[in-house]
Amino acid sequence: MKEKQIGFWRWAIASLLFRILLIYFPQNLVHFFSRPEISTPLTSLRRLAEGYWLKQSSMSPYAGSMYHGSPLLLSVLGPLTVKRIAGQPSHILCSLLLVIADVFSAMLIRATGRILQAAYGQKLKLLDLVDRSRSSDVLPSGDVAALVYLWNPFTLAACVGLSTSPIENLVIILALYGACKRLVPLAALAWVMATHLSLYPAILIIPVILLLGYGPDAPPKKLFLLKADDKTRDISSNDSYSQQKRSINQPKLQSNFLWRPVLHFLLWASLWSIYLVILCALSVKQHGSLQEMLKSWNDAAVTVTQALGASYPHPWSCCMPVAFEISRAADLLVMSFLTYGFILTVEDLSPNIGVLWYFFAEVFDFFRNFFLIVFHLNILFMILPLAIRLKHRPCFLAFVYIAISSMLKSYPSVGDSALYLGLLGLFLDELADMQFSFFLFCGYVGVSLLSPVMHNLWIWRGTGNANFYFATAMAYACLQIILVVESVSAMLNHDRKLRSLTVTKLQDGES
Amino acid sequence: MAETEKAEPPKTKTRPIVRIGIFLISHSLLASVVCCTAGVVALLLLPVLAKNTYISENALMPGSASSMLSNWDISEANRLVKELSDLDSDSEEDAGIASRRILSNYMSNLGAEVGYHKFQPQLNQFHPLHFFSSPDSSIPDHNLTYSSYGISVVGIIRAPRGDGKEAIVLVTPYNFGKNGRGDSFSLSIGYTVFSLLTRVTWLAKDIVWLIADSQYGEYAPVATWLRDYHSPVFTSTSGVDARSGGRGDGLYVLNENHFARRKISNGFRRAGTMAAALILKVGDRNSPFEETLTVFAEASNGQMPNLDLINVVNYLAVHRQGLHVKVEKFWSLVNSKWLEVLGGVFELVGDVARSLNPSWKFGIPAADYVDGAATLASSLYYQAVGIPTGPHGAFRDFQIDAITLELSPKVASFNKGRHNEFVLRSGRLIEGVIRSVNNLLEKFHQSFFLYLLTSPGKFVSVGVYMIAFALLVAPLPLVAASLYIDATKVNLGLKNGKHTPTATLDGIGITFKSWKWLSAAKEVFVVHLWGAVVSLLPYFICQIPNCSPTTSFGIWVFLSIFSLLVLYLILGSPFSHVHAPQPQNKEWAIVKSVTMSAVFIGLLLMSVVNFATAEFGALVIVPLCLIARPLKLDIKAAKMRSFLRVICNVVLCVVAFPPVSFFLLKGISEGFESINVGDFWNWMESLWAWNSATYIYIGMVHLPCWVLCMHVLLHYSC
Repeated sequence: MKEKQIGFWRWAIASLLFRILLIYFPQNLVHFFSRPEISTPLTSLRRLAEGYWLKQSSMSPYAGSMYHGSPLLLSVLGPLTVKRIAGQPSHILCSLLLVIADVFSAMLIRATGRILQAAYGQKLKLLDLVDRSRSSDVLPSGDVAALVYLWNPFTLAACVGLSTSPIENLVIILALYGACKRLVPLAALAWVMATHLSLYPAILIIPVILLLGYGPDAPPKKLFLLKADDKTRDISSNDSYSQQKRSINQPKLQSNFLWRPVLHFLLWASLWSIYLVILCALSVKQHGSLQEMLKSWNDAAVTVTQALGASYPHPWSCCMPVAFEISRAADLLVMSFLTYGFILTVEDLSPNIGVLWYFFAEVFDFFRNFFLIVFHLNILFMILPLAIRLKHRPCFLAFVYIAISSMLKSYPSVGDSALYLGLLGLFLDELADMQFSFFLFCGYVGVSLLSPVMHNLWIWRGTGNANFYFATAMAYACLQIILVVESVSAMLNHDRKLRSLTVTKLQDGES
Repeated sequence: MAETEKAEPPKTKTRPIVRIGIFLISHSLLASVVCCTAGVVALLLLPVLAKNTYISENALMPGSASSMLSNWDISEANRLVKELSDLDSDSEEDAGIASRRILSNYMSNLGAEVGYHKFQPQLNQFHPLHFFSSPDSSIPDHNLTYSSYGISVVGIIRAPRGDGKEAIVLVTPYNFGKNGRGDSFSLSIGYTVFSLLTRVTWLAKDIVWLIADSQYGEYAPVATWLRDYHSPVFTSTSGVDARSGGRGDGLYVLNENHFARRKISNGFRRAGTMAAALILKVGDRNSPFEETLTVFAEASNGQMPNLDLINVVNYLAVHRQGLHVKVEKFWSLVNSKWLEVLGGVFELVGDVARSLNPSWKFGIPAADYVDGAATLASSLYYQAVGIPTGPHGAFRDFQIDAITLELSPKVASFNKGRHNEFVLRSGRLIEGVIRSVNNLLEKFHQSFFLYLLTSPGKFVSVGVYMIAFALLVAPLPLVAASLYIDATKVNLGLKNGKHTPTATLDGIGITFKSWKWLSAAKEVFVVHLWGAVVSLLPYFICQIPNCSPTTSFGIWVFLSIFSLLVLYLILGSPFSHVHAPQPQNKEWAIVKSVTMSAVFIGLLLMSVVNFATAEFGALVIVPLCLIARPLKLDIKAAKMRSFLRVICNVVLCVVAFPPVSFFLLKGISEGFESINVGDFWNWMESLWAWNSATYIYIGMVHLPCWVLCMHVLLHYSC
């Protein structure tokens, strides 16, 4: 055990050193942060620096469609982009911050893995299934997941390529960790922050609530019922004393949905979001001239937001009537339009590894709104069925949600894949029999190599065209679909296997 | 690959496509033999499948206007050439300065703007990742001082009907030091066209005439000029600066004289973005029978200019000027017997097909086939090597379509009249091409960028030649899948839903069998990492001063082996797994399957980057991969079949080792006496100096695959 610990730390520190080494190659940085796979219009730190510069010169950071991120990120990261240490490559501070974020994420994944594993082991014990899977030469799943996250080339690229996705990933992982550890305020804060930073994690509210309500991942509830039934039946034929004892124990087995932490969570979440809104308002307000400028935009923006608010459930649209009256709230509205609206309306059609840019570059303008709704509803459609089927495994549900949203989001980058691939490691034991693992691995390697080559062929050499690059984007989306489908089916198979094991055990006990 | 791998779980009710996949995988041996043979046959069929070229962009309208070139232009050009050849200076240098002065005088007399471009021939540097970066990201270090430099003369005609945003470039390499006959020929053609273009009214794009100083090669002046053209330097001393005094002063004096009254300037002159570029050369060797035009088109990494440009040139040369157009071909193949036989067979097949159904227009005469195959082979070869075949390669790096036209006059055209006629015809050709390109509304995009030429008027497009390649590499995923399934068969039984009693008693029984490939993947990764190290080593080796190619090669080999050993020490050798308990000891099969997947990905990537390299690479590496099997198993079996396989394996492994295959090819083409060990180093050096992706392919796909196949061959199997 000790050796394994040392092994883990050795590799973790090695990854840290490797990152720092990469940061000190300024030439590589130049190449990395202009790659469309790594920095999207939302996550590019170069754009953030631009926005910060605009803000410093008392202009709206959102002027000129350069920056579309959160105003808070601007206030936190902005000063770091300007600050230089003599003799060091520029952006060194930002890079170091991103490295720290990555390391923190890995540690949180590890801690989450430990919690999940402990809880799962307990649950299996309740079912009288001994967890024999942990042969001595395999690291615990949390450690594996952390190492996968740290050494994933996608994570490395996102970290070295100066995109803000490590920070977004950190916040999402923090929310999951908080929910697993039942730290309700932390989970609420992290969830609100994650939603604020990149909007899509909003759907993670379902896994977080399930985590708080049901506790971490467990075998299906039916198995416990089966077991309990069997025991009561068993005992009813024996003495009545133990029957009573069992019936007292029974509620403990059937873990009911706990409403208290969920309500706490909702309360905290609303508190934190109010707090965030105030912070945003402050940071927007700081520049007097900004307000006037935004006001002049209001007329244009508000009408569009109105149209948008009718079709998209984004957080600010509900408070729209109030927003009209208060000018500061109108600023916020504009800000949310410039950030969330940018995400939802897919304004920037520069190529990325997603599939939306190509589609919306091709689609006729009068169908655009319709297809925007269709594409965004795609994510929402899958939420409910998955939640019903996987409600006993909220963490895995969160993984599936993240994978789906990173496939269908408007500006995906490899940083999103890094997150769900890291989380995949958490379910190492359950997914041990996953099919096509080798095919998926080859596919990911192939696509991530082919995509820059196709981009080069199209943009630099001029011998290819957009279809070349889009082909790799489609292959990438297909791979992610296969990954999701296979991992979910492997998980369901695992549940079935558990069920058959329990049943055979019970039958063995009877006979 | 998707279908083939989907076939993994044999279910009772499957979709047809999955069933096809299962069928193919279960008959992978037959399928791979059929696919490989079909791939080779398809490659040999390419000359038959070539289509006639056609002009795809309607705006070009070649030859629709009559030529305006007259004898007056020619006589002016003759005067210029005569004045240049009459220069009698003591040193070459003075002659060069004087001839530049004459040239700029003539050009500015025509009303063109004239500028000078001073350049230093670049030492080629090693950019391992240059391929992935933009072309102009490598701005050279200006602090370096060289003792030698060249000065090119640039003349620009501003188009009367243009907005100055587009330009057409005409390049004539000219050695100012010594005045060759071909050079003066090309100069007179260039001047003829240039003087005409100053007078025409239809010009919509600026004309840039670059007289490239070719005393340091033809590529360097064009490349440096293009780089300076596209990377403006915002300092006062750009263009020609006094970096190296002494000889530079002469030029300044020269400019002082004319500066006041003429449009000659020291600063770098620019026109708009370049629509196309023509490099005009006149070969020193004469063709015995007719005036010929040879077209060179291959740029770095097998990139080709748009086919329309070649089409226009070909159309005008053949149908308007009556020149004989050629592209490079391998002459050794033209006389080869086996190609003739093959051509005869294809002709016969075509005849039979036509007799069955007259509408089947299949098959070409055997002579045409041999000719086409020789041209195709040279087209493939020059693309595969990835080194541009002329100065036009520099243009392709900036996405400008360019070709080199090499004209060869007839032997008889020494007398004045013949000379003038030759200049007139070539001039009209250039004029026609420029007029066509002038009509363009957008840059070339209609026609193909990815094609192979089998003759100036015939091409094979990407859609056709990719089939041959796809057939050749298709067995890789098939065999990889079948090996993988074989090696993890026990696992499949579990997946089938039939839980064996032992599995149920084992508790949860997580076996990680579906992740068994991980250790093999690690091994493959280590070897590929080594490949990357090996490809980076020359960067350090070439820093060692006074190293002959042979010793450099020796150091390279030594360091490569050393680094392989070090990597094994750090990351674990594949031979250390030998004693690990393996149920069926199918480890080699998984290693082979992962290797094949890696090779498949590598070949696929390479086929996108440079098709020809991938095709040649696939011809060598696919059989090697498919046939590799531990020698020990085969020797144990002691059958005729396994004995044959051992021989095949050994021969393929020896032949596929890059230096060996290089020396073999060189020996076959040039004779075995002339082989020197250092040649391989020189060849590799030229590859990386020209940023050829072939170098990366050899280092990071071919060599690791070879090493892995060696591993499989030498695998300790029980």
